[in-house]
Parts: sequence; structure tokens; C-alpha cells
Amino acid sequence: MRFLGQSATAKDISPRSPRSIFSTERLIWLLLTTAAIAGSLFLAGYGQRSLINWGGWPQFWQFVQASLHPELDPVFLRLMGKATLITLAYAVCGTGLSLSLGLLAGILASAVWWRTLWPRWANLAQPAWLTVRAALSIPRAIHELIWGLFFLSILGLDPLVAVLAIAVPFSAIVAKVFSEILDETPSEPLQALVNTGTPPLSAFLYGLLPQALPNLLSYSFYRFECSLRSAAVLGVIGAGGLGYQILLSLQSLRYEELWTGFYALILLNGAVDTWSGLLRRKMGFTSRLDLSTGQPRNPAAQAIARDSASSRVEHPSTAYWVRFSLAGIACAIPLCFWSLRLDWTHLWSDRTGMLLRDILTQAQPGIVTIEQVRSLADLTAQTLAMSVLAMVMAGLGGVVFSFLAAQTFWLPGGILYPIGQHQRGSVGAWSLLGTSRLVLLVSRAVPTPIWALVFLYILFPGILPGAIALGLHNLGILGRLMAEVNENLEDEPVRSLRSLGASGLQTILYGFLPQNLPRFTAYSLYRWEVCLRETVIVGLVGAGGLGRLIAEQLSSFDYGGLVVTLSVFIGLTFVADLISAAMRRAVR
Amino acid sequence: MSAKRAWVTGIIGLLCCSLSLVACVPEPSAPEESAAESTETTESTEAFTVGAIPDQDAEKLQRLYTRLAEYLTTELGVPVEYKPVTDYTAAVTAFKVGDLDLVWFGGLTGVQARLQVEGAEAIAQRDIDAQFHSVFIANASSNLSEISDIAELAQLKGRSFTFGSESSTSGRLMPQYFLQQAGISLSDFKGEAGFAGNHDAILKLVEAGTYEAGALNEQVWNTRLEEGAIDTNKVKVIWRTPAYYDYHWVINPAVEDQYGEGFSEKVQAALLNLDPANPEHQEILELFGAEKFVETQNGNYAQIEQIAREIGKIQ
Repeated sequence: MRFLGQSATAKDISPRSPRSIFSTERLIWLLLTTAAIAGSLFLAGYGQRSLINWGGWPQFWQFVQASLHPELDPVFLRLMGKATLITLAYAVCGTGLSLSLGLLAGILASAVWWRTLWPRWANLAQPAWLTVRAALSIPRAIHELIWGLFFLSILGLDPLVAVLAIAVPFSAIVAKVFSEILDETPSEPLQALVNTGTPPLSAFLYGLLPQALPNLLSYSFYRFECSLRSAAVLGVIGAGGLGYQILLSLQSLRYEELWTGFYALILLNGAVDTWSGLLRRKMGFTSRLDLSTGQPRNPAAQAIARDSASSRVEHPSTAYWVRFSLAGIACAIPLCFWSLRLDWTHLWSDRTGMLLRDILTQAQPGIVTIEQVRSLADLTAQTLAMSVLAMVMAGLGGVVFSFLAAQTFWLPGGILYPIGQHQRGSVGAWSLLGTSRLVLLVSRAVPTPIWALVFLYILFPGILPGAIALGLHNLGILGRLMAEVNENLEDEPVRSLRSLGASGLQTILYGFLPQNLPRFTAYSLYRWEVCLRETVIVGLVGAGGLGRLIAEQLSSFDYGGLVVTLSVFIGLTFVADLISAAMRRAVR
Repeated sequence: MSAKRAWVTGIIGLLCCSLSLVACVPEPSAPEESAAESTETTESTEAFTVGAIPDQDAEKLQRLYTRLAEYLTTELGVPVEYKPVTDYTAAVTAFKVGDLDLVWFGGLTGVQARLQVEGAEAIAQRDIDAQFHSVFIANASSNLSEISDIAELAQLKGRSFTFGSESSTSGRLMPQYFLQQAGISLSDFKGEAGFAGNHDAILKLVEAGTYEAGALNEQVWNTRLEEGAIDTNKVKVIWRTPAYYDYHWVINPAVEDQYGEGFSEKVQAALLNLDPANPEHQEILELFGAEKFVETQNGNYAQIEQIAREIGKIQ
């Protein structure tokens, strides 16, 4: 976390002195990571007991086979169609709200804002900045589902519950990422404006925001995809939509019906991902989530990318297409808000105030005994182990899939496409691309709790089923993000390596990995924080860790205990945040 | 379109988003009044809301609940609305805040709900609920044998075991109580006790051998057995628990103020009048797996409440 010291950009643009790949700092992190993985495997029972339950394959197969004959009864399909629209509406409203709030909070959480507007109050500005950042970490640490149950208990059965459950944690996440984007945007134009006497606020609006906009917009699209997945989990709290339908079918394990729901989610996710990908490409923004890796965002390279993108955009039909999409967004948001019939006055109604006071009085934590501390420590270790295993699985798998699912490798004209070969081989290449993208899509579209239950058939209980479920779901997300990184890499060095006779594996090992590894690591670490939050929902299906305790406390209406557990959880997320930031700095 | 134009469009798009948000804030009250619901709602009467936590056969729920709502509308003379909730905790909370007037609760959740709403009454239950049972099941390869006496539950020590959902009466509370009577606490199992989430999952997970044993709602076991959905070579019943009170309808006392005195009794009568000989009624009864509904009262669940306090499900 930098604040008033050296501005990031000045340092980043100057060429860095080449550093040994294995600096001491990196070695320490490497050792710590290895230790963390070993510890997690130990907690998962690796080497101490059998982990795979061979007897459960028939049950596992029942689930898999049902994918071939989903429930297609017209009445049921109509129900699912309607549910899909509701889920979409929740996602749109949740995204709209979290982006608006997140933009405001993100500006307040950015160092550059305080630096520009209060240059003379540095002593006060720094604490203010830190306060905003710390305050944002609390809503971020708590999962949507818990927020949902909280809003349910003060608002009752109200469509606002689901919208707020998405919007509150997501606007904090958006704020964090937006503030990082703002801080890493080159600030020279801003400084130039300020130095020539432009009022700071105008300088900020005209000198910084327009530059940061492509990254902000790209991330907004990505956030929409996340909201969609989230809206699909929120059915539990009476929000309706696909999540509700899937939960109903899950109650009695109707796999055929479940698969209809998954296919709806797969279609919806696939359509939204494709649309947002196309739109971003046509507008010249290439990456969904441009995480800070400290690598210079090479302005020249970006300009080139943008130019080449815009030259593609010249085609009139695509220009219409972009405009059409944007007009669609502009119409969809009010439409979705209207269709959910949100009544914002409920937020400040007397009943809400009364219920809020009620829940706050109930939520007085009692005295924590030593025994409780010990059990909390155990559960924290479990949660941590689960998230570490999930992250490693998603990260490693993601790297592998990033090569399989990228368009720039195996297809004709791709880097690894055998030179001089004709179109004949392209069928195989296309099907490889299609299959790997489908695998990623299915992994991320099926909600984590479902994966957890399915893996519990073939694994013995412990943290492993939960970890694998989380790992698989996040692999689906990471694989695609990483594939995008590969696709966006400037390919001249790699192509020259290839034409000098390097084999495919050599090209990947020496051409791609060294360039992209920092970004891959950054994504995985970012996902780690997400995995940590999500352990709560696999805990809700009984896969262990703090999530299990939270489920027990929620169902006992033990709000006092819940506050203690959530505090531990927030602390854990905060520490993970620090570790991940330090590690990201180290891999730069 | 040049790159510059794309930006401008982008900025406008973002602006539109935020504008539309702002514009939306005061608006919702208008469409709500014009909404279709108001056509069936007389101006002064809010709909009487009914909810149920689907425990099984949830796929019928959506369709058949409209039947129940229609039936109650004609019987009670007030608009009735069914609200979907899939989670025990959420249903109790919704009942507490007054968004659900009549709820089909499990034994434990019904008690939890009544404790949070003063004056709430248990009014009806199924014929089978006064004599409800759980069954303990075991995977065949666990070599757990059938038992006839509760003390023999001790053989579950050191085995892996799964319950259903945290606040299920037949899938958690009563099984845990009987285990306690046999001197087994949750820490005596191999690993942590599982919480599979629902009765069917308990069944499948024990059948798969993930857990050596588990306990579930007897009604679900019997239904699945009839359907032939259980591989009886792999999973068997080892013990049937003594009888206890389970599922029941709980009504919020606020309905008396809203719909007039004696309304609770009217609702109770409507539920008891469901006649299995009438095909339309039969369909509703079948949704609940009931032959018919019978009267019940709060006192019937004193044992559940006491056990729940012992176990810590009621604080």
C-alpha cells in the first residue's frame, strides 16, 4: 500500500533493473507457500487416511448421467425461463447499484484523490484514506449469503434483500479494485492540470478519470458476470429465480431438474460472458480484470492495441453493434429495477428500524471462553487450509487451461499451429478450444455448494470435498481470465522463439510463462480472497471450517456467537489481504 | 466509429446507468399500485401470506401451492398469497418479522418461531405427526448391526455419521437426543458429524459409504423405498426411534387484528376440513404427505423445546 511517497507510475515506467528470478524475498514466499500447502494437505488428512470413497461412484454417476436427460417438461421449462429472467434482473440491479456505490467509494479509497484534493492536509488525508480502506474490508469479507440473511431479518421477504445482498459486498470489492486502478493510472496529465492552476476537482475529473475509464469499464463487465453467479446462489432467502428453483430440486435431489437449472445457468453465463467479451474487444478494452502486477501498463502497447481494435471497429455494422449494446444496457437497468418492484422506502420505514434495533440488541457477543477460542482456532485453520487448497488447484488448473482455452495457440494462425500445415488440422484445434472452454463454463456455472455435495459422494468427509468444489468453481473463472492474459500478450517475442525452432512446450515454458507468471500469480492470489469468502457457502452444506459454525449459529439464532465468528472471519480476510498484497509485490 | 467515439459512448453509457439508478429511487411506489396484484386485493385487505419449507417432493410445490392458496382464499374470504422460502432460518425470520402469517414448520423450527413471536399458535398437524419417527441407517459394509435397544446405539462410537439440516427435527434434533441418551456426543464420531442438508442427501451419502451411518425422516425413507430409489444391498435401517411430535402449522397472532377475531380458528377449520375423498383436497393433502390434518396445540412440543435447549438450538 503506497500513499504519499513515491508515486507508483514514475517508478514503473522507468525500466527496472533486471532482478534475479529467485530473489530472497521470492524464495521466502515460495517456502511459505509450500509450507502452507503441505500444512493444508495435512489438515485434509492426506497420507493419514484414505481420501477417496470408491463405493460412491454409482451415486456420482447418477448425477453425471442426469446431465444427458434434463427435465424438459414444458411447464417446468416455462418456470425455469421465468426464473432465469428474475436471476438476470437481480444481477443487473445488483451490478448497477454496486458500480455506482463502488465508484464513489473507490474514488474516496484511492490515494490519488486525497493527494490531489487535499495536498496541504497530508497529515489528515492519510488517516482518512486508511479509514476508508479499512472500512471497506468489512463488507467485503462477509459472503453475500450472510448479507442476505441479515437483510432478510430487517427487511423481511422483500426483493430488496437480494439486490442489497449483492450490492453491499460487491460495491466494497468494486471500490477496492477501482481505487487500485485509479492509483495505477499514469498521473502526469493530472499533475500537469493541477500545476497549471486547474481546480483539483476538475483536474481529477478531466485529467484522471477518462484515462482510467477503459479499465473501469472492463472491470464493470466482469463484475456483472460475478453478480450473475452470485444471484444464482441467493435463491435460499426467498429471492426467487434460478437459485430458488435449484434449491427446491436439491431438497429432494431431483438431478434431472437440477441439470435443467444448470443448463439455464450455463446458457446465461455463456451468453453474458461472450457478449461482454465481444463488446470489450470492439471497444478496444482487452482484459476483464486488469490486476495490478506492478508491471508498467505500457501506454504505447495499449495505444497500439486500441488502434488495432479501433481499426477493426471501423466496420459500420460493428459500430452499430456496440451502440446497440450500450443502448441495451441503458434500457435494461431501469427495466430490471422496475420489474423487481423495489420499494426503497422500506429501507427507512419504522419496521426496519425496529427490527434493526432488535437484531443489534440480540447480537451482543457474550464472553468468549478459552474452549471457544481453541475451537475457533481449529476452525480457522480448516477454513484457511480449504481456501489454500482451492486456490492452488484453481491456480494450477487455470494455468493449464489458459493455454488450452486461448484462441491464439492451436487454431490456424496461432502460435503453436504447425507452420505450413493446411486447414486440415483445424477441426481438432477448434474442438480442443471448444471443449476446454465448455469445461471452464460448466465449472463456473454450477454453484459451489452443488459441487461440494457431488464430490462428497466420492470423497470421504473432511475439508477436501469443499476445497475441490471451491477449486473447480474458481478454476472455471481463473482459466478464462488467464486465457485472456495469454491472448493479450504481445506475441512477437514468442513467435520469433517459435520460428527459431523452439518446440511447443519450450515456447510455453520460455516464451509465455516468464512473461505472464506475475499476472497469473496475481489472479490466483486475488481468487484466494474470493475462495476464503466462499468457504462460508460450502460450510453451509457441511464441508467444515468456520462456515459450518456459522450455519449452526444461524440456525440457532445465536446472533451473539455469530458476531464473534464473523469477526474472526473478517480478521482472517484482512490478514489474507495483506499476505496477498505482499506476495503480489514480491512476484513483480 | 473511432476510438474516441467509443469512449464517448462508454461514458454516456455509464452516465445513463447512474442516472437511471437515481431516477429509480422514487419511482417504485407507482408501478406497485398499478400492478396486477392489486386487482385481486381489495384496497383495505393485505394478502394473508402462507409459507412452507419444502422438505421433500419440492418439485410439486410451486404448482400445488397455488391450489392451497386458492382453497384458503375461498374458505377464508381474504386474498391468500404463497411466498417461496427454501431455508428454515429464513422462514423463521420471515414469520418473526410478520411477512409470513401461516407457516408449515418442522418441530424445532415451529418452536423457534413461536418463541420469537408472542402468542403464536400451533394449530394443525398431519395425522402422522403426533407419532413421528426417524430411522437410523447404515451402510452395509460398515457391519453395523440392527439394534433393538437404544443403549446399543453406542456401537456408533468411532464411526462416521451424518445428520440432515442443522435445524431439522427428524434429521438432527431427535437423533442427536437419542444418541445423547445412549451416551454418545458429537465428538465421539469419527471425524466431524456431517450435515448433509436434506433427507435425500443423508440417504445417498450413507448409500455411497461416505458416511457409515446417518439418521433421517422415516417418511422420506419409506417413500424412497416404495419408489425403488434405494439400493437395499448397500444401505439398511438399523433402528427406528421412539415416536415424537414433528411438523405443524403455526399461525401469527397478528392475523386476529388484521382479519378479525376468530380468524385463527377459521384457518384451523379450513385446514381440518380438507377431505381426502374430495379429489381437489386430496391433491393438497398429498403435497404434505398427509392423509388429513388434525388439531394440535403448543403444549405438544414442550419436549422438543426442552431438548432443543439442552442441545443449544434454542438459546
